[in-house]
Amino acid sequence: MASEYILEMNGITKEYGSNAVLKDVTLRIRPGEIHALLGENGAGKSTLMNVLFGMPVIHSTGGFRGEVLLEGAPVKIMSPMDAMAKGIGMVHQEFMLIPGFSITDNIKLNREISRPWPISRILGKDLEFLNRPAMAGDARNALDAVGMNIDEYALVNGLPVGHMQFIEIAREIDKTGMKLLVFDEPTAVLTESEAAQLLGVMKEIAAKGIAIIFITHRLDEVMEAADTVTILRDGRLVQTLSKAETSAEQLAALMIGRGEDSIIHVEQRGEEISGNVAMSIRNLWVDMPGEVCRGINLDVRKGEILGIGGLAGQGKIGIPNGIMGLYEAVGSVSLFGQDLPLNSTTAALKAGLAFVSEDRRGVGLLLDQSIEDNIVFSAMQVHGEYLSGPLRLKNVRKIREQAREMIEQLDIRCTSSLQAVGTLSGGNQQKVCVARALMLKPKFLFVSEPTRGIDIGAKQLVLQTLVRLGREQGMTIVMVSSELQELRSICDRIAIIAEGKVAAILKPQDSDTAFGLAMSGAKMKGGEAV
Amino acid sequence: MSQVLKKDAKPKGRGRKILSVILFVLSGILLVAAVCGYYLQGTEQTRASLSAMRTQAVLHTASDGLLDAIASQARSEKLKELRARKDFRTLGLDEVNNTCDSAAAEARAAAEALYSNPRVADSAGLETAVVGLENALSEYGTLRNAEREAYSGIYVSLVENVPDWTDLADAAGEDDSALFASLSAWSEELSSEAYAHLQPGIVRLARDMADKERAREDEELLTQLTSAMTGAVSDWSEYAGVEDEALWAGLSEQVDGLAENERFRDRLLQAAKERISAAESGETVAEAVADEGAATVYDTVTDYSYFTATEALNTASAASEAAFEGLWSELTEIIPDLSELDNKMRNSIRTTLENTVWAGSNDFTARYNAYAARQGGTALSGSTALAMQLAASAQNILIAGIALLLLAALLMFWTRLTGSFGVPRTIITLFFIYLCLAAVFYHISVPMMLSNVLIRMGMYGILVLAMMPGIQCGIGLNMGMTIGCIAGLLGIVLSLQFDMAGWGGLLFACASGAVVALPLGWAYSKLLNRMKGSEMTISTYVGFSFVALMCIGWMMLPFNNPKIIWLLSGHGLRVTHSLLGSYAHLLDNFLSFDILGVEVPTGLLLFLLLGCLLMWLFSRSRTGIAMTAVGSNPRFAEASGISVNRMRTIGTVLSTVIAAVGIVIYSQAFGYAQLYTAPRQLGFIASSAILIGGATVRKAKVSHVLFGVFLFEGVLVLGQQIANSAVAGGGLSEVMRIMISNGIILYALTQTGGGSRD
Repeated sequence: MASEYILEMNGITKEYGSNAVLKDVTLRIRPGEIHALLGENGAGKSTLMNVLFGMPVIHSTGGFRGEVLLEGAPVKIMSPMDAMAKGIGMVHQEFMLIPGFSITDNIKLNREISRPWPISRILGKDLEFLNRPAMAGDARNALDAVGMNIDEYALVNGLPVGHMQFIEIAREIDKTGMKLLVFDEPTAVLTESEAAQLLGVMKEIAAKGIAIIFITHRLDEVMEAADTVTILRDGRLVQTLSKAETSAEQLAALMIGRGEDSIIHVEQRGEEISGNVAMSIRNLWVDMPGEVCRGINLDVRKGEILGIGGLAGQGKIGIPNGIMGLYEAVGSVSLFGQDLPLNSTTAALKAGLAFVSEDRRGVGLLLDQSIEDNIVFSAMQVHGEYLSGPLRLKNVRKIREQAREMIEQLDIRCTSSLQAVGTLSGGNQQKVCVARALMLKPKFLFVSEPTRGIDIGAKQLVLQTLVRLGREQGMTIVMVSSELQELRSICDRIAIIAEGKVAAILKPQDSDTAFGLAMSGAKMKGGEAV
Repeated sequence: MSQVLKKDAKPKGRGRKILSVILFVLSGILLVAAVCGYYLQGTEQTRASLSAMRTQAVLHTASDGLLDAIASQARSEKLKELRARKDFRTLGLDEVNNTCDSAAAEARAAAEALYSNPRVADSAGLETAVVGLENALSEYGTLRNAEREAYSGIYVSLVENVPDWTDLADAAGEDDSALFASLSAWSEELSSEAYAHLQPGIVRLARDMADKERAREDEELLTQLTSAMTGAVSDWSEYAGVEDEALWAGLSEQVDGLAENERFRDRLLQAAKERISAAESGETVAEAVADEGAATVYDTVTDYSYFTATEALNTASAASEAAFEGLWSELTEIIPDLSELDNKMRNSIRTTLENTVWAGSNDFTARYNAYAARQGGTALSGSTALAMQLAASAQNILIAGIALLLLAALLMFWTRLTGSFGVPRTIITLFFIYLCLAAVFYHISVPMMLSNVLIRMGMYGILVLAMMPGIQCGIGLNMGMTIGCIAGLLGIVLSLQFDMAGWGGLLFACASGAVVALPLGWAYSKLLNRMKGSEMTISTYVGFSFVALMCIGWMMLPFNNPKIIWLLSGHGLRVTHSLLGSYAHLLDNFLSFDILGVEVPTGLLLFLLLGCLLMWLFSRSRTGIAMTAVGSNPRFAEASGISVNRMRTIGTVLSTVIAAVGIVIYSQAFGYAQLYTAPRQLGFIASSAILIGGATVRKAKVSHVLFGVFLFEGVLVLGQQIANSAVAGGGLSEVMRIMISNGIILYALTQTGGGSRD
């Protein structure tokens, strides 16, 4: 073998416009090893894999810098087909199987074994017959290799999700000349026993000399299966470690990595808030696509700022959306001792809740209407305010007064209160959303991803506003955010959601390790859901 | 990627600039050419050329007339010859025709060699004669036109000022002096000279009107008779089966009861007989007769048969007669054979000649075209011909130049214009301006056009307004507004069923239409709420299929007023219902006035403005604001605790109800209510109007409605006229209407991004 490594990606840098998503990342994979790729959402794992597979999204945006070596020889991979031909396979997170085909057909799709007959000899290979027994034999072997004893003639349609995952893998290992397999979060949809089986299969595959890149955020699986671990954070390579010389705690800490540059500096509250419970959530299930909550139990204390964090897709965003009645929810929620009926937005708003949605442009704003109309909208609809005269028409003078006040208070940069919000910058739009929620004079405020997609200055302003509302006006605030950094800088407590449940409730000053472990779903001792 | 985009963007802008500069240059060239053309029109040389063309054209006309005469003579001789033959009856009609035609053609061809190319050998005499005839004719024509105009003015004011023709008719029937007494009441308003001149005409007019009035009474009685007949026997086939004697006895009995006036009895019975035979042969004579009667009674078109000429006009006529004699003798000198023609032939040539000499207009282009059409162009050659052509087409060149200039300006300021105004609105507005300019050049009366536009605005305004709540509540363009229209039509038919007329009838039609529209709109909204995301398709199909359903419905509904049902079958509603006897133009005429020749239908416009005001107030109420939010962002509304379905229901019902009122207003302005498939296209018209006004499928304001209906109707009315003037054949305007309205809808649909809403 020409090289110690089967794959080397050296100094990969990728920029979308001026935004660098990968900065000088190096990844080296030995033959037959399971190499875990760890990182938070947005750390650059997907982009790195896109580079490896030569995805069009990379080449159409100006390519990348750095070199890719396969078995020591530099290669240029221009398309996924190219990558496949070079022996790199991918087990997708979403299954790419044809439901109406049998397992065999799916495994041998586009690589069918065929036998010629007179007409095909004249008219070409496309008209050859399928050699079904041979195909079935290959499929059987591949299925055996992944430890599935299912009938290879069964249709994919209606198989359990776990089975589909294994069929995907079987298809990849059936390919001849496979050198490297990428598993993109393969255990996300599997049950525990299936996940264990999968890890076993991976080890078997690796034992045959095929290298595996294992993308996941479950630290226990990494510790279980991986030989080597590479950690990415914010598009940078943090470290490459061999499993033997590390621990789950260390990996968690490396993955989170406390930033030196805190977004804003807020004095931590001296005493712990031990006041009454403002909201008590019991066994809340929310059916929000992509953010499903599976039995949340959480108490929010009066006057505190509670952060809700966690990785994307784990269900943290489902909590406010479910309680506000925007998505189907079951469970019991009580607000200041009163039972809150679920699945009714009106009831939630009337009970004194307000919500700043994470989907600012989709849910939070009427983009083609003016700032003042946006600001007073909810107050007008929910409480019937800002209407006047016998016909109860909108009171433009009063609305404008109020809007001016809000614009001043939240420092919304605009030409006038009549400017359409669609023309504002993201940060100012966010402030309009907050203003609209405040106009409801809420006792309890949900803020979801308030800093998504806005610049650093606006971020600080929004966060400061929240702190002021919480500390000075005593409003109870629940802030959901993917940015642990900002949660830790302004929240009194932080609940970490993993797999639709509360994994842990931590204090901002708790260690990176604790946060990392909670986010990766590892069970903590004593980390009971309050 | 961003670099690629930048590269793409630059040439686009630059290309537009370059194109606009090219267009500027082109339009400049055209404008210069037009100025040259206009200059040429004024020069001595072109006048001389034009004169030469005319003389040549006169000569050609005369020789053509001669050839025609020769051919026609040959034809009739051949026919005589054929008739003389014994076997004439055995010849087919075609054969006779063909033989005669070929004989005529032969004779013409033979004569053509002799006369086809007459030369203006010694044209001095001819030219003088032509000029003399022109002067005489122009004096006579001007005088005649002036007198006729005065006459028609008086005639129209007569018809309009006499409140009740029955009085006049009675007076005329009894005593002429009584008629004059009643006429003198308003004769002072008319100039005394013209009045004296018209006196004998007025008397005849009065008598004639009395006859008409009598005819109208006859019609009424006939209608009553028909009702009586259809009322007695619901089915004519049944009637036909009855024994003749019995039927006749039964009919006479009923007619006795009806015909209070003995005068009509015989006539009625005669009519009944006709009807019976017509019914047996399956015709619908009664309908045709009734419609014709209604049309004649209200026909007030000026009738020149009472026109009497003044002394001056007679003198001028004699002078033109003499001038023609002079010309004719000149022509006979050049073409001696002309003198052989008989008087009939001579007179037919005379009409053509007079038209050639004095085309009724001094406009250069019109004259040039007229002379050129009669081969006058052969008098010119080389550069003179070119110069004349340029001069003649100066006006067309000018219009084209202005069009290019507008286009160039549009391209130059494209970004700025479209930024504040939107692409389609910019184009349509410029098109409208261009049409207004073109109207001036085509001699189309702009005030008349504007009156037309105003009326049509009021007519369609409420229907367009019905689009607004639909758009605001998020169902997009409510193509299913035809449901509301049908409800409104039902209201109209109900008011006709109960013989309601005037303001009461109009109000009742609106109210009952709206009441019917409520449950229909509600059910329709339930359907739309289940079909979120594809409302446009659903509403179009629902609209169409409801029209189809009601085609059956109109036949089945138990209406029984003989004025509105099919007379012969005794059930089912007719297609077209005249509102002239009930509340046609009631709103149009309310407080209407003239300003600068523009007739303003005040009542109609006030109603539209009132509707807009109410809509505007509604859109500022809590419900209205919530509805608008649902339309522009349903998820936002939901997050504020608003029931999206409820708001959509309110919007849809509102749209349907407004459409019901709208069709009543439309029908009263139109004068007729049309059932069956007539309302099918209204949704398309209304949606293109509001889209032109600047609305999108998500957002609409009152200003969009007003501006849109003005632009849409303006472009249509003007475009229709201009297209008809510019291109022969009348079908173009309809084609254009369809192209504009469907094109606008298509454009709007490309802007929606499909049914992407959840």
